[in-house]
Amino acid sequence: MAILAPALLGGCVAHTEPAELFALTPDIPKNRAMQTRMFETPNDRELLSASAAVLQDLGFQVEESQREVGFLRATKERSAREYGQYVKQVLVLLLSLGKVMQPVDLHQKIAASLIAHPLNPEATRQEVRVMFYRVVWKGDGQVDNQYIPPGEQYMEMIRDPEIYQQFFAKLSKAVFLEAHRI
Amino acid sequence: MIVEHPLSSRMPSRWLMPTALLGAVLLSACSPYEMRHDNQSDARTQIWLSEESQVKVRAAQTRVFDTTDKRKMLQAIVTTLQDLNCKIDVLDEELGIVSAKKYVDLERPSFLDPSYILYRPDTLLFLTRNYRAWGPFYHRSDLVRLTVTVRDRNESQLVVRASAQFYLRAVEDPVPYQQFFRTLEQAVFLEGHAVD
Amino acid sequence: MTTFTMHISLFGAGLLLAGILSLQGCAAPEVKPDLLAPTEAQMKIRSLQTRSFDLKDRNAAIRGVIASLQDLGFIIERANEGLGLVTAARFAEPNYYDVVTITVTVRQETIEKMSFRANAIYNNKPIDDPKVYQNFFAALQRALFLSQESTHSS
Repeated sequence: MAILAPALLGGCVAHTEPAELFALTPDIPKNRAMQTRMFETPNDRELLSASAAVLQDLGFQVEESQREVGFLRATKERSAREYGQYVKQVLVLLLSLGKVMQPVDLHQKIAASLIAHPLNPEATRQEVRVMFYRVVWKGDGQVDNQYIPPGEQYMEMIRDPEIYQQFFAKLSKAVFLEAHRI
Repeated sequence: MIVEHPLSSRMPSRWLMPTALLGAVLLSACSPYEMRHDNQSDARTQIWLSEESQVKVRAAQTRVFDTTDKRKMLQAIVTTLQDLNCKIDVLDEELGIVSAKKYVDLERPSFLDPSYILYRPDTLLFLTRNYRAWGPFYHRSDLVRLTVTVRDRNESQLVVRASAQFYLRAVEDPVPYQQFFRTLEQAVFLEGHAVD
Repeated sequence: MTTFTMHISLFGAGLLLAGILSLQGCAAPEVKPDLLAPTEAQMKIRSLQTRSFDLKDRNAAIRGVIASLQDLGFIIERANEGLGLVTAARFAEPNYYDVVTITVTVRQETIEKMSFRANAIYNNKPIDDPKVYQNFFAALQRALFLSQESTHSS
């Protein structure tokens, strides 16, 4: 029990200094390269419209569109349940002799935040940057006689290059233009 | 034969207890509310929609109209959505995007969860980290999210696509879309064709 | 019988005491006269939060803010050209425990000058660390300068 409890509650989390969150870290250029593509077109309107269509194709709902700054945000709400977590929950329950019931992931909001902006003053080249992330909402649980209320949230940036590659491949197909890596 | 027989009959009895225990635990561990949501091996797979399901729903969600009047089409879409009692959240005329939500009275919530009312989809974190509740998704059985896009198909045609989300799933049943397009066709006085 | 009444009176006294205590707890805190007045510390960080750049194009300024925040790994939550407002947030990876939210407003100071004001909040506390704002404006300058550079090259 004593060993399990900290693991369950997340234990002591090392806090990050605010200044660190504003510093350029080595992985930032890498992420930028993954999330960004350049298109040789003056038509930012078509690029945004096609981006919305691609996101729609992937089951996203458009939540906001600010064309003046080339901003689109789309989300989808899905189940976040995973078999593996239930197996883990049962194992922990058995190991703790029925005292610990770990909360499992229940719902998730998957979001895409997209910005298109011109790279040169003549606006003949446009850059599209998309970021995918998900926010997960957990269910309830129990430790000893104490009830863990539902609603613990955690967030995850999507860092799978495959997702970004496929997104840009679809966008490129929709606008009939090549997507150049930057 | 004589040796094998006792072995095979002993095997199940040895596994009976753990299996029964596991089964009982699994059943008790899952509340009926949780059971209503899809279980999967990896929740991240939800980011991407498989190519098969994309193709499957695309046909039902899409209609081609023989007109280039985007503005008129958008007006008709807005009218249609209003006829359906939708609240329009996003309307971008130039990009051809309409996004709306609609409340359906399927299940009466048994209690009032402030997280549902206070839910703001545009922030990274819903509400505050310390607030504990079943969350804004708890009553999703009464909310339909709908996005409609209008894009030029060629010099003489527009393509309209509608996609809906209900109860933490994409709506893949073609019937609701057929109904939507029937209403839209009446509003725009044009007949839509399926994409070939 | 007497012990019973004593119990009753004791119970009553206890109730009364509890009532007084809870009443005291109920008194609302007094509104301080400086509730809505900026503190000295706030005045000090305001200068850190504000920076002007030689820029004419308001749209380019807002796009520069967005680009710089994206470069720093922030997720854009809202962007409004009319209001000149951008809000963005980012979690501290990899534990995702801490969250920083930043609001940037863009204001045209003169025809040639654009003023940027950034407010960053760490979890629920305003950030007064000058380094945070210096880092942000460095990133902003880079984003604006990059687009300016291409202006000059053309």
